[in-house]
Amino acid sequence: MDRRKFLKFSVGGAAGAAIGASLAYVKPFGHAPEKEGQRVEIPTTCEMCVNKCSLIAVVENGVIHKLNPNPENPKSRGMLCARGNAGLQQVYDSARLKRPLIRAGNRGEGNWRPASWDEAFDFTAKKLSETKDKYGPQGTLWSSTESFQEVFFRNLGAAFGSPNQVRHPSLCLASVNLAYSLTFGTVPSFDLLNSKYIIMSGANRLESFITPDTMDLIESAEYRKAKLIYLDPRFTVTASKADEWYPIRPGTDLAFILAMLNVIVDENRYDKEFVANYTVGFDKLVEHVKPFTPDWAEKETEIPAKDITRIAREFSDAAPRAVYYAGRRSSWYREDFHMRRAQAILNAIVGSWDREGGMVPNGKIALGEYLFLPWDDPVAPRVDEMDKNFPLAAKGDGAYLKLRENVIAGTPYPVKAWMVHKQDPMNALPNQARTLEMLQQMDFVGVIDIQMSDTAWYADVVFPESTYLERTDPVEVLSGITPVVVYRQQVVKPVHDTKTTLEIAQGLAKRLGLSQYFDYTLDQWIAAQVKELPLEAPLEYLKKHGVYVPRDFPKYGSTLNAEHRFVTKSGKIELFSERLQEANYDALPVYQAPAQPPPGKFRIITGRRAYFTHANSTNNAWLNQFAPANSLWLNQSAADNLGIADGDRVEVASTVGAVRLQAKVTQAIRPDCVFMLHGYGKKSKWQRLVAGTGGCDTELLETAWDKVSGNASLHETFVSVRKV
Amino acid sequence: MPARPKRYAMVVDSKKCINCKACVVACRAENSVPLAYSRNWLNEETRGVWPKLMAASHPEQCHQCDHPACVRVCPTGASHHRPDGIVVVNEADCVGCRYCMIACPYNARFFREDKGVVEKCDFCVKRLDRGQLPACVETCPSKVRVFGDLNDPESKLAELLNNREYRVKKPEAGTGPQIYYLI
Amino acid sequence: MKTMEWGFLIVNYLFLGGLSAGLFFVSALATFLYKIDEPSPYTRIARLGALLAPWPVMIGCVLLIFDLGRWYRFYKLFLHLRLVSPMSIGSWLLILFTLVSLVNCYAWLTENQRSTLFAKLPRGLAFFSKFNYDIDHWRRRLALAGLPTSVGVGIYTGVLLGAVQSRPFWNTNLVAQLFLFSAFSTGCAALILGLSGRETSAQELRLLYGLDICFMVLEFFIVLPYLIHGELSVQAVQDSLKLVLGGPFTILFWVFFLGLGLLTPLVIELRELVPVIVSNREFHYNRLLAASTALLILGGGFLLRYIFVFAGQMSAMQ
Repeated sequence: MDRRKFLKFSVGGAAGAAIGASLAYVKPFGHAPEKEGQRVEIPTTCEMCVNKCSLIAVVENGVIHKLNPNPENPKSRGMLCARGNAGLQQVYDSARLKRPLIRAGNRGEGNWRPASWDEAFDFTAKKLSETKDKYGPQGTLWSSTESFQEVFFRNLGAAFGSPNQVRHPSLCLASVNLAYSLTFGTVPSFDLLNSKYIIMSGANRLESFITPDTMDLIESAEYRKAKLIYLDPRFTVTASKADEWYPIRPGTDLAFILAMLNVIVDENRYDKEFVANYTVGFDKLVEHVKPFTPDWAEKETEIPAKDITRIAREFSDAAPRAVYYAGRRSSWYREDFHMRRAQAILNAIVGSWDREGGMVPNGKIALGEYLFLPWDDPVAPRVDEMDKNFPLAAKGDGAYLKLRENVIAGTPYPVKAWMVHKQDPMNALPNQARTLEMLQQMDFVGVIDIQMSDTAWYADVVFPESTYLERTDPVEVLSGITPVVVYRQQVVKPVHDTKTTLEIAQGLAKRLGLSQYFDYTLDQWIAAQVKELPLEAPLEYLKKHGVYVPRDFPKYGSTLNAEHRFVTKSGKIELFSERLQEANYDALPVYQAPAQPPPGKFRIITGRRAYFTHANSTNNAWLNQFAPANSLWLNQSAADNLGIADGDRVEVASTVGAVRLQAKVTQAIRPDCVFMLHGYGKKSKWQRLVAGTGGCDTELLETAWDKVSGNASLHETFVSVRKV
Repeated sequence: MPARPKRYAMVVDSKKCINCKACVVACRAENSVPLAYSRNWLNEETRGVWPKLMAASHPEQCHQCDHPACVRVCPTGASHHRPDGIVVVNEADCVGCRYCMIACPYNARFFREDKGVVEKCDFCVKRLDRGQLPACVETCPSKVRVFGDLNDPESKLAELLNNREYRVKKPEAGTGPQIYYLI
Repeated sequence: MKTMEWGFLIVNYLFLGGLSAGLFFVSALATFLYKIDEPSPYTRIARLGALLAPWPVMIGCVLLIFDLGRWYRFYKLFLHLRLVSPMSIGSWLLILFTLVSLVNCYAWLTENQRSTLFAKLPRGLAFFSKFNYDIDHWRRRLALAGLPTSVGVGIYTGVLLGAVQSRPFWNTNLVAQLFLFSAFSTGCAALILGLSGRETSAQELRLLYGLDICFMVLEFFIVLPYLIHGELSVQAVQDSLKLVLGGPFTILFWVFFLGLGLLTPLVIELRELVPVIVSNREFHYNRLLAASTALLILGGGFLLRYIFVFAGQMSAMQ
C-alpha cells in the first residue's frame, strides 16, 4: 500500500471515527404540540395541610392542569404555596393506592393482593366483629387525623361502641391548647398583622408552614415596622428575617418568660385596669415570679440579662399590640404545658386580649347539623385512662403515647384491632419501634389512605381513599379572627377505584349492623349544614365561590365588658388556675431546668420545611426535588471535634434506635443540637423517592410526654453521632 | 391621547421572599415543565459564622430584556421580542441550535431534550391573554413579585420604581433586563 | 444554561470549517501565483487544495445539522437572513462557500478524472454527462470569487463566539482573527501533510512553510495580547481567564495547544526555512519532520477550538 493510500485511509478513518463519535449526540425527532381544548374552573379547598386554603382548579379536557389561588378567601390571602400547587400530583401519582388491598404475606413484606370492595369490607367487618366478641368494642382503636370526612370515621368507631378514639393533637398542639384554654377558657388566634411587637419561641412561621400568620408576619415585621424577637436553637428563615434572634438553650423558654414576667411585674408595666377587671390570681403571680430575675434567666437561657430586661420593657410598651406567640406544634418537652401557660399569663397581664394586635378570641359561624340517629355512649373507659392520667386534657383527642404504652402492656384491657384514617402513626409517633410493637400485637389493622404510607405498609387491609380533588366533602368552618366557611367539591371523577370515607364507613356499617346510623347521603349532610348560613341559595353560592366570608369580622372587644363570663372556673382570665391546683399540678408555671445532653451527645430537635406536610408529601415528585434526602445538621465545631466533614455518612443513635444518613455540617445550628428533616427513611417501598433514602427521625425519638396534657415531647432525646 | 404601548416588567421585593418554592411549583404546573427543568429558580445566599449569620433568597427567571442578546443571535428569528416587551420563542421556527442559551447572561433558557427546542419563562403569556397574572406572581404567599406595565404611571410597578431604590442583575451585560430588585 | 450546550459536534465543525477555509485560501493564493498557460511550481498545491477543500466543511455541516435540536428543520436557517445574528450570516456563508468550493474542485479535475467520474454515474443519471465541461479557464475567477467566502467562513466562527457578551472568555475582538489565522494555518498544514509523501519540490514546501509561518506568527501575536490585555481587563474577563491560568484548561492550553500545537511547529518550520532565506542555502527538508509538524498544527487547531468552546461556556456559569 503506498503512502497516498495510507494517508487517505488513515485520515478518512480518523474523520469517520470523529464523526461517528459526534453522531452519538444526534437527537431523535421532535414532539407534537399540545392541543387546547375544553377548559373549566372549579373552586374547591386544599387538603395538602391543615390550613385549607381556597383554590380554583383548572381542568382541561378532563385533566387537572393547574391549581390557582382563590382570591375570595381572606385567610389564604389569595395565595397557594408549593404544596398547594403540587396537590394535583396526588391525583396522578402512579404509586398511589388504586384499589383495596389485602395483605398476602407477613406484615411489612409488601405482599398485597388486590381485592374487591366487598371483600375488603367483609373481611374487615369480620375481624372487627371477632375482636368485639373476644374483647368487647373497646378492643378496637380508631385513630384519625383531622379531615372534612373524619367525622364519619369517628362516628363509625363510636357507633361500634369503642371509647378509644385518638387524634393528632397529643402529637402536636395539645399542650398549647390546654394551657390557653385553662387560662382564657378558649384558644385565641393572634392578630399578627396589627401587632407591633412579636416574640416567637420556635414557631418557625416563615419556613416550616405557610399560614395566614406567615403572611401577616412578613407584612407586619417587614413593612409595618413591627419588631420580631425570635428564639430558636437553629438559624431558620424566620431567624434570618427577625429583628433579633437568640439561639436559646433548648427547653429554657419558660425561664425567659418568667424573667419577662418578673420585670413587668416589678416595674409595674402591666395593664392595671385589665388585670383588675378581667383576671384573677395576680397577687399570687407577683409573689411567684419574684425569684425569676433576668440574671437568673441568663444563666438558664444563654440570653443576656440586659436583653431580656429590654425586651420585657419593649414588650410592655408596645402592649396591647404585643404578643408572645403561642406556637402550634408544642410537642417539645415534658414541661411544655407550663411554658405555654406562662406565655398566656404574660400576654394577659399586658392586656393583649381581644384588642387589635393582640390575642383575639376566634369568631364563630353557626353551621347546621345533620341529625343522624344517635347511638349509646360507649360503656368502657378509654384505654389511655385520660381521667386518671390527664384529667384536664381534651378527652376526645386522647393521649397517643400513653395509649400506645397501655396497649402494648395490655392494660387496663387489651386492644386488638386498629382502624386508621388519614394518619401515618409509624411516622407521626416518636419511637417507631414501639409503634411497630403496638401494631404487631394487633389481630387486625386497617388503614384508609391515599398512598401506601409506612403504616399502611404494615396493615392487613388498605382502603384507597379518593384524593381531595376527586371528592366532595362536608362544609367546614375555618375559625380565626376572620372565620370563613369553605367548601370542597369534586374537581375530577376518581381516577381509580377509590371511595370517600363516608362510603367506606357506610360499607363497613352495613356489615356491622350499624347502617341505621349512616343512612344518609353526603348531599343530605351538606344541605343540613348550609341551611343556617345567611345566604339565599347557600349551596349554589358555595359551589360557585368555594368560600363564604361573613362581613362582620374581625370583631374586637366583644369580651371586654363586665357581663362577659370567660369559660373558666372563676369566670375570669385565670392567671392562677384553681383547676390546675385541684388536679395537683402547678397552678402557676414552675421552672424545671431541662436535662442537658451528656458530654459527647447532642439533643436532637425536629422541625418542618414548608414544601412538605410532615411525612406525607415527601414522596410527591414536584416537592421532593427540593429536598430529595434529609441530612443530619451538625454545627461546624461539633463536626470538627468528631472528625466529620460535610457530606460524610454518619450514624445517629439514641436509646431506642439508630439511623444512618449524610451529615450536613453547617453554621446554622447550636453546637449542642442536631437536626434532621422529617419524612424520610420510609419503609413503604411504594414511596420510591424516600423509601430507604435518608434517615427516619421517629426511629430515634424516645417516648416522653407532657405531664399535664399528654402531648408528646419530641425534643427530649439525646443522641450520639459517629462517622461510618 | 393615543394609548401608550404596554411594556411588561417585574419588580421583586426580595426582603419578603422566604424561599418557599411556591413559584417554582406553580410555574411547573402552569407551563407543563418537566421535572428536569425549571423556568424560574430561587437564588440562596448564606453567610457568617455561628451565631452571627445571615440568609437571604430571591427569585429569578428570564429578565425579558430590552435589548435581548438571545433575540439578536437567533438565526431564524424564532426568539423574538413582542411589542409588550416579552421575549418568546416561536417553537415552529426554533431549530434548537442553542445559540440563545449561550448568549443569555442569566442562563435563563434551557433545552428541552424531548422537544428539541429551547424554552424559557414567557411571563405566562397565555394567562396574560386571559387577564390573569403570571403564575409565579399570583401564587406567592408574600407577594414578592409585582408585575405590571412600565408605561402605566398608575401601576403598582411604576409606584415602586419611582419611590424605591432598586438594582438589576448584570447590567454590565448591556441587555437591559426588566426584572428590578428592590434594595 | 447550567450545562454545556455546545460540545464535540460544534468543536469538530469549527475545526473542519476552518480547515476547508484554509485549504481553499491557500489553493486560491497558489492559483494567483502562476499564469494559466505557464508551468508553475505551485500547481500541485493549488490542485490539492481545491480538491480537498469542499469535503471537511461538508462533513462539518452534517455535524452541525445533527447538533440541532430538531435537525430536520435545518432548512429554516435558509428561510431567514438576520444580519445581526452571526449564526445566520454564517449559515449563508457556509452554503456559498461550499458551492463555490465544489465548483472550484470540479474545475481542477483533469479530463481523465472527469471522464472517470461521469462514467461512474448510474444509467438513470446519465444525462448529467452533458455537464462534462472543462472549466479550467474559470479557475482564477472561482478562486477570486471564493476567496472572500473562505475568509468569511474562517472568520465568522470566531465572530460567532466573540459576539456573545455573556461569555467573557470569548467576548474580545481578537477571537475572530485568532480563529481565522488558525484556520489558514491548518489549511497549510493539511497541504504539507498531503504533499509530504510525494515527490514534492522544495519550492512548494517553501511556499507552504512560508505561509504557515506567517499565519502562526500572527496567531501567536494574537494569543499574547488576548492573555495580557485580558488580565488587565475587567474582573469578569480576569475570572474567565483563570480557566487557562490555573484552571482546568491550563495544561491543555499551555502545553498542548501553545507548546506543541503552535510554538513547536513554528520553531521547526523557522529552523527549516530561515537558513534558506538568510544565507540562500538550498532548502533541505525532512519529509517525516514535515508530516509530524503538520500533524502537530492540525492537533493544535483542534485543541484551540476545543478549549475555546468548552472554557468559554464555563466562563459565565455560577
